[in-house]
Amino acid sequence: MKHLHTLGFLAFAAWLVAVPVMAGNEYELRLFMLFLIYGVIAVGLNVLVGLTGLVSLGQAGLFALGSYTGAILATRAGFDMISASLAAAVVAGLFGVLLAYPTVRVRGVYLAVVTIAFGIIVENVAIEWQSLTGGTTGITSIPAPNAFGWRLSGYAFYGVLAVTLFLATLATHNLKTSRFGRAMLAVSQSETAARALGIDATGVRTLAFVVAAVTAGLAGTFYAFLNAYISPDIFTFSDSVRFLLMVILGGAATTFGPVLGAYLLTYLPELLQQFALWQKFAYGALLLLVMFALPKGILGTLAGLVKRFRPTARAVSIVGAVPAEESLRQPDKALAAELVARGLTVRFGGLTALSNASVRVKGGEVHALIGPNGAGKSTFVNTISGFYRPAEGDCELDGVTLTGLKSHQIARVGLSRTFQNTELFGEMTVLENVIAGYQRRLTYSVVDAVLRTPRMRREEAEARRVAIGLLAFVGLEDYANEAARFLPFGLQRRLEIARALAAKPRLLLLDEPAAGLTTQEIDDLEAVIRRIASLGISVLLIEHHVDLIMAVADTVTVLDYGQVIASDTPSVVQDDPKVIEAYFGTSLHGAEGEKVA
Amino acid sequence: MLPDKILRGHVLAATLALALSSGTALAQQQPCIGNSAAITGPAAFGGMAIKMGAEIAIDEINEKGGVLGQKLRFVQYDDAGAPPRGVDNTRRIAMSDKCVAILGGYHSTVAVAQAQVVNEIGIPYLGVLAANTKAVENGANPNYMFRVSAKDKWVARFLVEQALKASKTGKIAFFYENTGWGNGAVPDVKDAMAKAGKELVALETFNWNDPDMSPQVIRARDAGADVVLFWALDREGNQILRSMDKVGYKPTVIGAWGIAGNLGELAGPLADGVQVVQTFTFMGDMDPKKKALWDKLKAKYNLKDPSEVKMPSGVANAYDAVYILADAIKKAGAFDWKKVHDALYTVNMDGIVAEYKPAFVASDPERQDAILPKYYKLTVWVDGKLLPLEQTKYGKAN
Amino acid sequence: MTTFLQYTLSGLAIGGIYALVALGFHIMWSAAKAVNFAHGDTLMIGAVLAVIGIDVGLPLWLACLLAIVAGGVFGVLLERFAVRPFLGGATSIGWMLTTIAVGIMIESLATMQFGGFSRALPSPGVAQAVHIFGAGVYPQELLIPVVALIAMAGLKLMQKRTLIGRAMQAVAHDKRAAALVGIDVDRIVAFSFGLSALFGAAAGVLVAPVIQASATMGALIGLKGFAVAIIGGITSAPGVVIAGLAFGVMEKFVEGYISTAAREIIGFSVMILVLLAFPQGLFGKKEVMKV
Repeated sequence: MKHLHTLGFLAFAAWLVAVPVMAGNEYELRLFMLFLIYGVIAVGLNVLVGLTGLVSLGQAGLFALGSYTGAILATRAGFDMISASLAAAVVAGLFGVLLAYPTVRVRGVYLAVVTIAFGIIVENVAIEWQSLTGGTTGITSIPAPNAFGWRLSGYAFYGVLAVTLFLATLATHNLKTSRFGRAMLAVSQSETAARALGIDATGVRTLAFVVAAVTAGLAGTFYAFLNAYISPDIFTFSDSVRFLLMVILGGAATTFGPVLGAYLLTYLPELLQQFALWQKFAYGALLLLVMFALPKGILGTLAGLVKRFRPTARAVSIVGAVPAEESLRQPDKALAAELVARGLTVRFGGLTALSNASVRVKGGEVHALIGPNGAGKSTFVNTISGFYRPAEGDCELDGVTLTGLKSHQIARVGLSRTFQNTELFGEMTVLENVIAGYQRRLTYSVVDAVLRTPRMRREEAEARRVAIGLLAFVGLEDYANEAARFLPFGLQRRLEIARALAAKPRLLLLDEPAAGLTTQEIDDLEAVIRRIASLGISVLLIEHHVDLIMAVADTVTVLDYGQVIASDTPSVVQDDPKVIEAYFGTSLHGAEGEKVA
Repeated sequence: MLPDKILRGHVLAATLALALSSGTALAQQQPCIGNSAAITGPAAFGGMAIKMGAEIAIDEINEKGGVLGQKLRFVQYDDAGAPPRGVDNTRRIAMSDKCVAILGGYHSTVAVAQAQVVNEIGIPYLGVLAANTKAVENGANPNYMFRVSAKDKWVARFLVEQALKASKTGKIAFFYENTGWGNGAVPDVKDAMAKAGKELVALETFNWNDPDMSPQVIRARDAGADVVLFWALDREGNQILRSMDKVGYKPTVIGAWGIAGNLGELAGPLADGVQVVQTFTFMGDMDPKKKALWDKLKAKYNLKDPSEVKMPSGVANAYDAVYILADAIKKAGAFDWKKVHDALYTVNMDGIVAEYKPAFVASDPERQDAILPKYYKLTVWVDGKLLPLEQTKYGKAN
Repeated sequence: MTTFLQYTLSGLAIGGIYALVALGFHIMWSAAKAVNFAHGDTLMIGAVLAVIGIDVGLPLWLACLLAIVAGGVFGVLLERFAVRPFLGGATSIGWMLTTIAVGIMIESLATMQFGGFSRALPSPGVAQAVHIFGAGVYPQELLIPVVALIAMAGLKLMQKRTLIGRAMQAVAHDKRAAALVGIDVDRIVAFSFGLSALFGAAAGVLVAPVIQASATMGALIGLKGFAVAIIGGITSAPGVVIAGLAFGVMEKFVEGYISTAAREIIGFSVMILVLLAFPQGLFGKKEVMKV
């Protein structure tokens, strides 16, 4: 795939050079330049829609902002095209941040409606703010394209557009294959897991919105200069739909898909002219057809076919991998992390799920948390990992207060977790899932990512070596290139552990890791937990399976009705009458552990 | 790549470099007349009207042997009312089809957007519907934008004149749609009022598809206006009339030609007495010239009743525009943009809408417009039909 | 005072339309967690078909009835062929775009039918305006918010009293659990889309005499109806109806006391602000995140 992309970029560059030479007349070249502009929008929108999974139906609003900013600066303040476009990109980028803010609270269709509203507001402000925007008649007499005082010839302008699109495509491609792109994909596939791995979901979404806005802003100014005229009816809801369609048609999340989509939809109206009265109908029918025949877009579908007929090797070589023992070892076992939860109380409406629960996980121990269904185990886990807020009480890890921190901040303090219902990034490969776990240890910047600096390559290579080592640690190296969602359930559990370990936690929180596993798999799991503990990582184990607990736990804490009723070594807890009563409702002497499960 | 293809590429590149930098194309123009208009969307009837008028005129000319021995062709592209598509179509017509001239469409916003590219390329443009003043009076010299249609500035003067005649109190309100067409007319109407030494007592706007205009109507009523000028389309015109009815407000209504479509059907009896300015109508009694055109339309487009022609002014304007163009090409002696542009100022002929003597005047920027206000006609809605004012009881009352 | 009443009455008429459209969004969303993005066009279908019915000589009542039934059938077909294949996808892009596509096609057909003009639907409800303390309004306009309220009450009653209504609520609450107790979820979803389209087409027939039937009549109403549904809390039927009526009245007051031009800007800004303050809408239920 990597070579395919290099080839793709070479072909793309060759095409961009060839077109002006081959164009039959100025009209054809103009149309192609229009495509280049749409391409820039589509490539940026792809970061938002394809990678981050957020639907924006207000892209025309950002495009309009860029267009108007550029046109006003050029006509009123005498800016040249380059500085006007940069200013427009900044303005649009600021609005991108503003638009990203609602994602903190609303998602999905709600967000789509917010973006629609944004587009309509921008369109109407452009209509009403006549003194600035010229109202419905728009802005005319935008000067010819110029740069630093020089008037650009048609070819020079073409060059600016072609280079912009090429660089935008390359930059988003580099972004996609960096920690930022991975974070976007992670957030879109499982926000919960992403947050638990220390990924700041809001930050990631803001970045995606800014990328989409900046590209739309740039494109907007170029558009104003190409057309020499802009008016509000260029920036309507149906234009937003068209921009979205460019991404979907070409193939969301693919590198060249949006470019292809923009190309097709720029030339489509020319083709549809022959349908005369029926052209709008034909456009609708085509849109429908695309959604049915190519839901993954043209390039997405092609990539799927290539994969099917030329599958990549499933396994990955472990030569050069960093063994888990090396990458995970804590400096000194005596300094292993200690988790202290004091008097945690959590209420949902009138229901008290956790009542004054105090638990202490000593450094380096395997601590099991058990209790009947509804005892508050999951609530406890979700509270210390920051997904719920306690009404009272607090918890800390090695003296760092966790209460009040967001889950991704807690993850960064050194707490990793798995999930009762596995939360893998299904569309990513097994290896990518583990690298996503390594995410918070990567420190290179957006600039490093876009430019693929040596620092970025070095860190990525290290991440990959560590991830492969972790796959070997849990025995999944033979599945490395498989999509995670195709893994058998038992292996998914192991992958989640590997991913959680990749963050190099000081405390690992396992939420019912044995649920749904076969006896053999539970034995393997037991071994894995022991090895993890031996590396100096504290483990908090939430489990029903008593055999496993007896075998690995140093301490067992029992929860019932949200309260801690016992906390001691396994053998002591096993004989505690309160515990037996909690499980069986009556004091039944000599209850066997296995029955508890 | 084959060697000759490379060569061709280089030659092309060189030509293009020249073309792109200078903004003029070198190729010989073709005997075709282009048109960018809405042929889909809510204003599709506008594109249809232009097509009808232009095709009938071209047929007639071709039957007589064409122009300079060549048969004319008509090329129509859809802009759906969207300015960028209008601009693209203009380039396509000029550079790809290499047509000798281009006819304008229905939407004023499109015409304003086209003005710049038309003058940049230097292809003669004859507007046949869109009435926005600035689209043609754009300050360019030489100006390739011409019009064989109403002009808002003159329409405004004409309507204000009629309004002051009809008003007892001299208080006039103005309702305009919030589009390029409506907003473009605001300064024209204000100027016309100022020239008469008056001021509008209410200036109200509305959007397309607005279902209720009672706030605007109440303001106009409370301002005491007894005549209301409309710059509206049928649908919104009807909503204004209904809102007036609801709040018990019955002023005299005079409108630009946006309400010349099916207002009578929409508003029923409320439309009776609403006056509309037009350049042409097939309704009422027809003179022989008009009758001949109507017969051809009827045969070619399968029509039964004149009321089926929703924009008769568009048909007639396009018809006259094609004849003016043909005459200019003959006088220029070539299918050449520049020469045809210059020859347009020498055209002197009789049209179906007006007498063009001359059609355009090079020395007067206001006379890029061929149809003078004296040819504007008032029509009035009566029982669902839009009849010439003088043929109805409303005309006689005046 | 008269002016104040005039704005309120006119606003309620407009708001009634938003409410009926929003109610359709509520029904679809409850069943499928998906909607017909072009639901405004269902309204247009009702109105346009009724006018066509009159054109071919049907009596008014029959033309309206057939138009409404056709609207319902359209809703069922749309769900089956444009929405269902995309349910359960990771994002909502699939059904959003397919329903928008169907909307584009239908609008284009209607445009060709009417040649871009709007057409009147005759109704005794707009023959003569009535005056209430000096404020003028057509009886038909008064009818719209009343029908919206009746539709909401009827929906509530159906959900409480009928088997299919209870099944709808079960599906809305938890699809998987509903399937486990033997409810045919697909049929309930199809029924919901049919019902909402029935409401939509009926709204179209109801408003056509007031706002005229045209190909584009539904576009903005649909978007606003959706916005209103989100503001009101798309999970709550009374919520969306109240929000719809309030939104209509607010628009009229903005037009009356601020400016006609500011209407869209203020309306949609209010929508965004409400969503920021109440992510589930004003009357919507909060969904607890499960980890």
